[in-house]
Amino acid sequence: MRQVDLTIEICGSSGDGTLAVGEILVNTLSDLGYRALSFDVYPAEIRGFGKCVAHCRVSDKPVYSVGRSVDALVSLNDPYSIEQLATLKPGGVVLFDSWPLREVSEESCVAGRLGPGMYLYGVPFGELSQRSTHGARSRNLVALGAIAGLFDIDAEAFEAGLDRKFGGKKGNVAQTVKAAFRAGHDYVKEKLLKVDPVSFAVKEELEKKDFQIMNGNQAAARGAIEAGCRFYAGYPITPATKIMEILSAKLPPLGGRVVQAEDEISAIGMVTGAAMMGTRAMTATSGPGVCLMTEFIGYNVMTENPVVIVDSQRGGPATGLPTKTEQSDLLLALFSGNGDAPRIVVAPTSVEECHYWTSEAFYLAEKYQTPVILLMDLFLSTCKTNAVLSELDKAKLSANKSPSPGEEGVGRFKVTEDGVSPRALPGTPGFEWTVSGLEQNELDSPSYYANVHTEMTEKRARKLMTALQNDVPRPERFGAKGKVKLGVMGWGSTMGAVIEAVERANEAGLSAAALKQVVLNPLHVEDIEKFVDDCEKILVPELNYSGQFARWLSMHVNKPIHGLNMVKCSPLTYLDVLEEIERLITETS
Amino acid sequence: MNDIKTEKVPEVFYLDEEIKAVKEKGVLDYRSKRLPVWCPGCGYFGIQTAIVGAMKDLGVKTHELVVVSGIGCTGRYPFFVRGYGIHALHGRALPVATGAKVARPDLTVLAVTGDGDCLGIGAGHLPHAARRNVDITCVLFDNGIYGLTKGQTSPTTPAAQVTNSHPYGSPDRPLKPLMTVLAAGATFVARGFAGRPKDLRVIMREAILHKGFSFVHVLSPCVTFDKVNYLYPRLEELVMPLPKRHDYADYHMAVERAMDDELFLGLFYKTEEPSFSEKLDDYAGRSG
Repeated sequence: MRQVDLTIEICGSSGDGTLAVGEILVNTLSDLGYRALSFDVYPAEIRGFGKCVAHCRVSDKPVYSVGRSVDALVSLNDPYSIEQLATLKPGGVVLFDSWPLREVSEESCVAGRLGPGMYLYGVPFGELSQRSTHGARSRNLVALGAIAGLFDIDAEAFEAGLDRKFGGKKGNVAQTVKAAFRAGHDYVKEKLLKVDPVSFAVKEELEKKDFQIMNGNQAAARGAIEAGCRFYAGYPITPATKIMEILSAKLPPLGGRVVQAEDEISAIGMVTGAAMMGTRAMTATSGPGVCLMTEFIGYNVMTENPVVIVDSQRGGPATGLPTKTEQSDLLLALFSGNGDAPRIVVAPTSVEECHYWTSEAFYLAEKYQTPVILLMDLFLSTCKTNAVLSELDKAKLSANKSPSPGEEGVGRFKVTEDGVSPRALPGTPGFEWTVSGLEQNELDSPSYYANVHTEMTEKRARKLMTALQNDVPRPERFGAKGKVKLGVMGWGSTMGAVIEAVERANEAGLSAAALKQVVLNPLHVEDIEKFVDDCEKILVPELNYSGQFARWLSMHVNKPIHGLNMVKCSPLTYLDVLEEIERLITETS
Repeated sequence: MNDIKTEKVPEVFYLDEEIKAVKEKGVLDYRSKRLPVWCPGCGYFGIQTAIVGAMKDLGVKTHELVVVSGIGCTGRYPFFVRGYGIHALHGRALPVATGAKVARPDLTVLAVTGDGDCLGIGAGHLPHAARRNVDITCVLFDNGIYGLTKGQTSPTTPAAQVTNSHPYGSPDRPLKPLMTVLAAGATFVARGFAGRPKDLRVIMREAILHKGFSFVHVLSPCVTFDKVNYLYPRLEELVMPLPKRHDYADYHMAVERAMDDELFLGLFYKTEEPSFSEKLDDYAGRSG
């Protein structure tokens, strides 16, 4: 059971410093040993005056999904915050700016919109900012101080965090922000009487781990660097752009190279060329970019070339919803392209896994000479959490199957038992090969004979089976053991919500289990079948309308699958899944 | 190099003598065991001879040679060369060659591409490869027709020419490839003719030696599907060496000659600028 599980939202207009406050809040709570996850919502348009919400969920145990209902709402902009009241919990807390009220009409003041049972605290953010810093720009930091004061979170930890963030700035910025913070904190301590039940108190002190506060994009970029990725080509696209920006800064000093291509086709083309030279290479994009890269995905299957493609999914189809999360590219990742083109598809389920599986993707791609598609999404790409990263296996830094001396003249596509051919890298004398998008025989010549096509098609499929046996982890089961009323299977970023929901269902005495697999192709079908046999009903929650994972599973299991399909433009919460679990189990009995 | 003498083709020759001579020249070291699939008489044989000759002249090691192509009759070229060959997707020779060169600046990278490949489906990549000044040599095999799909209009087919896809004549104005690359900032721009492989060999040699993006436009007859435009006798009449007073360091003069309807042969433009890899190395040094 969790001792603390709170969701705080800070809502303001762009320019209010809303997201900065969210960031400092998460950093400080992380310093204190809490596990936190923050997810910012902001408009797609760059011009100002849009609504910004910093959403932070805090617990004493790891959190992998956002909260559906909010315990405390901090308003830096009342008209926008009124919209957020809909998700405020009964008995929730609202902190609002009680100064100045000029230009705010009665109906656009958040204080006038509260339902019964809510707790309202007015703190004159603007006034306190003026008094402490001689300007109104530090309202957000006053609000941060008020949060610390009201919920009794260690003020010194916040100040240390502010020092870290602003200490390097010129002048006395650090002093100013701390003054604003202190003003908010002290005001609450002196003037307000806390009556609400929201509390961060824990029975015993939390264990302070080596947390790395990062989002999925940062984690993926780091995984790539650590896995020896030394070539990146990409084209900017929300929400994957940050990966390119990080690698552009980090790769060159390591001897790596980053190219901003003229379009996604060129980006994957460059990655293809670099990978053929033996360099670990990657591109990152979103659904529309994957569409453009589709022909090259097939080409890399045909030429057995190791490329890593990150697809950070967003709402679709077409240009879709660039700043909203969705999981609707699964079938695209699995099946895009013409012909029989098997490839490895991986969907990390947390920020930590974005790090681990990006590095693993390079290993799998190189070892099995195949494209690997990593399915992230906007939520994973942008949600910040205090991650505990795993150590990577140095032995996996080199996985190419080089031909042995004496094998000169061997073609590029020698048929082998495990399906993996020896692969000489350009620059090696005596092993000159020619690869092509045409079907080729073992001597590299284009071939249109049935036996060659059959043999090569089988070989390309066979090596993924080898990968399945040797390098793809078995699915992991959570929740109740043995026979259960309901089994839940999730994938990607919604898996966190699924596991939490199943844990809570078990705590409530409901018989439910969850099965998690990160590698979505190839699949451990036998394990999935066994799990399905244990479950009376199967539920697959996912953020797409057509039930793409359910459809993929239904090709392998012989049981009807209940889908929980949402295209709600925001991440799935455990409550969404829990309610569906309860409904399906109650229906049964 | 623009005062190359126009070569004379001997009227009579004996095959065994030719083969012996060719073997002695060592150019066969750059040929794979596969026989070209091009039609007899195709201009691409001439281009092949010129490229292979240039490799021999420069002593490029076959295992340090990467030949990238797109799709079309040109696309098959890597299969006939000894070296690391990449027969890429339609239009995508340049991105793949760019990735290969950036990853392995020590290798010699050649992008061979056709008129449909480079100026049609892959036209989006050409100006960018040129302006990046990637140190690759792009050879445009231009026969003014789609050959592999059997005689449709290409981006360089003259307006009003009747083709299989335009039985009433092509309504499109043809592209001038040299102007495209000059506008994009290519640092080496030349034109050759498949019917004069010895001249072309000299151009190819210079192009490969050039540090930066070198573009060689090669006029080449399609003997099977083009009966009116790029015929050997017609091209023989149309082509002429660049005038003696042409200064390849003069950008405006180069643009003027590239605009001209006369098909000048030789080096139009050449300038020295840091190549893409040099710039990236330089920036990496700064970041470290």
